[in-house]
Amino acid sequence: MKKQKLSVLAVLFAFLATAVLPLNVMADQERSTFTVGFDAEFPPYGYQDTETGEYIGFDLSLAEEVCSRRGWTLVKQPIDWDSKDMELKTGAIDCIWNGFTMNGRETDYTWSTPYVDNSQVAIVRSDSGITELSQLAGKIVAVQSDSSALAAFTGADATEENKALAESFADLQQVGDYNTAFLNLQSGAVDAVCMDIGVANYEMEARGGGFTMLDERISSEEYGIGFLLGNTELRDQVQETLLEMLADGTFDRIAEEWGLSDSVCLSAEDQLSDEAAAYEKASLWDKLANVCGQLLKGVGASLAIFLLTLLFSLPLGLLIAFGRMSKFKPLSWLVKLYISIVRGTPLMLQLLVVFFGPYFLFGVSTSGNYRFYAVIIGFSLNYAAYFAEIYRSGIQAVPVGQHEACEILGYSRPQKFFKIVFPQMLKNIIPSITNEVITLVKDTSLAFAISYTEMFTLAKQVAAAEATIMPLFIAGVFYYVFNFIVAMIMDKLEKKMNYFR
Amino acid sequence: MNLLEIKNLKKSFGDLEVLKDISMSVNEGEVVSILGPSGSGKSTFLRCISMLETIGGGSMTYCGQTAVSEKDGKPVYVSKAELNEIKHSFGLVFQNFNLFPHYTVLKNITDAPIHVLKRNKDEVMKEAEVLLKKMGLSDKGDFYPYQLSGGQQQRVAIARALAMKPKMIFFDEPTSALDPELTAEILKVLKELAAEKMTMVIVTHEIDFARSVSSHVVFMDGGMIIEQGKPKDVIDNPSNERTKAFLKKLEQ
Repeated sequence: MKKQKLSVLAVLFAFLATAVLPLNVMADQERSTFTVGFDAEFPPYGYQDTETGEYIGFDLSLAEEVCSRRGWTLVKQPIDWDSKDMELKTGAIDCIWNGFTMNGRETDYTWSTPYVDNSQVAIVRSDSGITELSQLAGKIVAVQSDSSALAAFTGADATEENKALAESFADLQQVGDYNTAFLNLQSGAVDAVCMDIGVANYEMEARGGGFTMLDERISSEEYGIGFLLGNTELRDQVQETLLEMLADGTFDRIAEEWGLSDSVCLSAEDQLSDEAAAYEKASLWDKLANVCGQLLKGVGASLAIFLLTLLFSLPLGLLIAFGRMSKFKPLSWLVKLYISIVRGTPLMLQLLVVFFGPYFLFGVSTSGNYRFYAVIIGFSLNYAAYFAEIYRSGIQAVPVGQHEACEILGYSRPQKFFKIVFPQMLKNIIPSITNEVITLVKDTSLAFAISYTEMFTLAKQVAAAEATIMPLFIAGVFYYVFNFIVAMIMDKLEKKMNYFR
Repeated sequence: MNLLEIKNLKKSFGDLEVLKDISMSVNEGEVVSILGPSGSGKSTFLRCISMLETIGGGSMTYCGQTAVSEKDGKPVYVSKAELNEIKHSFGLVFQNFNLFPHYTVLKNITDAPIHVLKRNKDEVMKEAEVLLKKMGLSDKGDFYPYQLSGGQQQRVAIARALAMKPKMIFFDEPTSALDPELTAEILKVLKELAAEKMTMVIVTHEIDFARSVSSHVVFMDGGMIIEQGKPKDVIDNPSNERTKAFLKKLEQ
């Protein structure tokens, strides 16, 4: 048993070791395809057409034109924005072409020259009365994780002014995508969303009013096409074709199609820069320690979700089980429906409903704190349904003779349940409960659905920032150790219940 | 005095009529054995008078207190509070013991007197020790049921019933789950109780035991009482053909 666990650990560490090794760039022989990585929720640069289901956008149109001129086949690869560096390193994509901000990332990629000048702006609800950036003090502000807006506030190159501004916020919330950000803004969960001006114009038009863009700019920035550091060969080919397109007017025509004529800035005079930045070679252990330290901050959040969910769902499950077994049919049916819905839909969806429901169903604006409450409520309601069914099976497994003995001896119903049925049920259900609790440990990562920063969300953010997959594996080790302890405790409990048969 | 008075008891499960018009009375100090082939309804009858099953017709009276009376052909139970009180007048020993597996022998015996009858704990404990001694289980008080043999478990179950100080005890085939050796253990205990004038109603297949211990024997078949009387009349000299056939089968 012990030996087995050890070997599993060994395998995990082996994975970890490979994860931190620099990944080789695939040699570029006769190229036939050109794979563009993009965030599919970033209109107008790259997004999914709701009617055709196809990926379209300004950047994708440019890429298509480049490919047709070079005789390549374009592969549009939507990526998780947090994983963009890993996608690039592994060669899964050839470039990041997606309204990709160069500022602050100058030395992280091999860049094309800038083709769009963009600025970071703040969007507020029109009825909020906010007209200046300084009025955002004490407010909750949302940005996309690892976005330019975030970098403008907290990045290494952020101006002192912006840093001070960010300090004055009640909270700088990181969200996964702009749709979530706007839902948050609309429901009052956040007071402002900061993003690129091009995206902002598009979103505001698409959502049809109710939002206002502040005149003040947070920062100005430029977009370029990012290639893997050192991949100048491919970069030069794409750059050459782009300049051809600029010369014959195709570039400007495409920009106009996408309403970006005011933003484009591609110029034949711009110089390509090739400072192949020294790849930081921190020692493996320093990196490990650093990542572990960052993840530990998220462990508390994960632990809180885990413990509070158990605290509420275990007793709630018992009540639901009673409702399910009630002789009063309408109650029993209602509870059955509840269990069926909770078990039949994704927990992630349930979290979204709990978080956004109050506003979109009842028009109640929620406070920033509600995010955490929503996580706990969502998880508790979900797990209570599963626990209820486990309790029910455990209760029904107690022999009918036990009930009859209680009847004859004159026990009241509460006495019968707590003295006789409950302890026997407990013994019956411990293995199933263990299963469920172990699943819960891993499910805590689903809190990211409503942008609650627990360990896994943090691991993804750190992985994106450090451009390595290591934090994810370390997170995996954390989960494993966590569950190892859980399994050990439950095993002890099971043994303890062995005093009777 | 009649401790138990059953009149015209009827019971059906769906369309199946299991008990058809059974009347019977049990006097204080009497030991009544109920015999009959399986499926004759004797266990159902015992469960009805133990109130584990609701009856479909007739009346039941315990120690002079009416629990169920018949009105317009329908049985009417008295209030829950009254029923709870009436239920304390009898105990029931199950075929498969139904001890509480998570309680020690001592707790199995003392828990209900302490928490249901709200009796003094020290007093109950002292009585339980006496009961255990009587059952030959003095050294088993701290054991859990699974650590005991079937015969020992059944003796604990009898002690548990006695600890409630009922006026009478019903036994539902108390030896059917036991092998012959352990059966003898239990029959010995029942004989001792009979000698102490404990009022008992016993559903059993043990003809010899019924003959030597019972004051009254009831023979049931097809949901009816076919024959009843002194054991020497019913068992040794049956008048009904079905009784004869049943007894003959047992002898083989």
